[in-house]
Amino acid sequence: MRKRNSQLTIAAVTMLLGLLVVVQLRSQSIGTGLEALSAQNLTVLVANLNTRNDQLRTEIATTERELADLQGARSRGESSVDQLRLDLARVRAWTGLDAVTGTGVRVTVDGMIAGAGVQDLLNELHNAGAEALAVADTRVVPGTVVAGPPGALSVENTALSDGFEITALGNPATLTGSLTRAGGIVAQLAATYPQVQITVLPVDVVEIPGTTRDLLPAHGTPRL
Amino acid sequence: MSVATRFRSIAGWQITLGVALLSLGFLIAAQLRSETPRVSYATNERVPLVETAQGLQTQQDALKQRLLDLRASIQGVETQGQGSAAAVQQLDDQLRQARIEAGLTALQGPGLVLQLRDSTNVVPPGGNPTDYLVSARDIRTVVEELWLSGAEAVSVNGERVTSATAIIDIGGSVLLNAAYLSPPYQISAIGPSDLFDQVNGSAGFRDFIRMRVEAFGLQVGFAEPKDVLIPAYAGTINLRYSRPVVPAPSPGP
Repeated sequence: MRKRNSQLTIAAVTMLLGLLVVVQLRSQSIGTGLEALSAQNLTVLVANLNTRNDQLRTEIATTERELADLQGARSRGESSVDQLRLDLARVRAWTGLDAVTGTGVRVTVDGMIAGAGVQDLLNELHNAGAEALAVADTRVVPGTVVAGPPGALSVENTALSDGFEITALGNPATLTGSLTRAGGIVAQLAATYPQVQITVLPVDVVEIPGTTRDLLPAHGTPRL
Repeated sequence: MSVATRFRSIAGWQITLGVALLSLGFLIAAQLRSETPRVSYATNERVPLVETAQGLQTQQDALKQRLLDLRASIQGVETQGQGSAAAVQQLDDQLRQARIEAGLTALQGPGLVLQLRDSTNVVPPGGNPTDYLVSARDIRTVVEELWLSGAEAVSVNGERVTSATAIIDIGGSVLLNAAYLSPPYQISAIGPSDLFDQVNGSAGFRDFIRMRVEAFGLQVGFAEPKDVLIPAYAGTINLRYSRPVVPAPSPGP
């Protein structure tokens, strides 16, 4: 009887042990951090991944067409000048090398704000799909940072006054909605900098200049 | 009774049970440790969402690779075209340069790699657990300090930071270029040989160390490999709401 009890105990403990080993291995096998996300955050993530995948498919289709046109022109012995010009204009505009125009928003910032606050604003505009940004007519490109404490802001070595304008190109409704939603970046900045006034105005036409910054790498070499 | 005799008198099943209980205790402790501070959710509704997210991330990786391959093919065709009309050659060169400036071409060179990890400190009673995790704001701060210190190309966990990059929080993780990144975060940068000293000496980075590393125990690691590789941006460059400004023709004589 005593032997039977001990066997049952060992069986129960071993079963529990096996269960825990499986749970532990499963939790480690995900290993991507997804296990830390709530259902709500996972829904947001899935939406973001879907959007980016759709954009990638569109970009792939455009690039496939571009490649086919280029190969066709080359095989016919034709010059592909028009195609190259179009592609060059597209890349330069997206990068910030050339001026661009279109619909968007004008964001007026009035009052003393820290550089980090302005960077948060720019980040939110990018997140909302802004295609080009400028802070007081300085085009935002890789390496552009609005820095400094309140009252002493600068961008690209140029001092910013306590009242300046951010212009963004994109869908005016989406950009405005993203900035001004309840609990959004404008509300967050209003809580941190109560003396700062931020207004967002959708506009039909806005022009953003090209950068004056040299974007060609001086230290890195291209790996083609 | 000697120790050896006493040991022999312990039944085999007791030893087995002892070992099993010890393993059980170890596993319970390991499981509990792995669940903090990033809380694990275990509801049934999450399982399909996690699987969908994983599937979409796999698709995204394949799409990005396809796009990079196509761009490489285009560059190949353009290179073959060299030797044709001078106008085409000039445009090819300009396009190649613009792609480098845009971040559409991978770059390698001197620089540094910074690693940010969540804190392993125990969250005190009344403390906010998210303060002990690396946030999008932390990554943005480090990226901004790298730019200000002279970095000319930056990537985070292999995602190139471009003109259009947003870095946002999603739960305790981060979305960058709408790609899901999980910790630890490796921020790679190419720049001047004194990039490390420049970053380390900047007031903004010192503030970050004081407010996030010293106060909450976030872990920061540095490495200065001989060659840092920053991958090309694999994403859309289509403009939907904007177009290049066509310069007005210069007035005739």
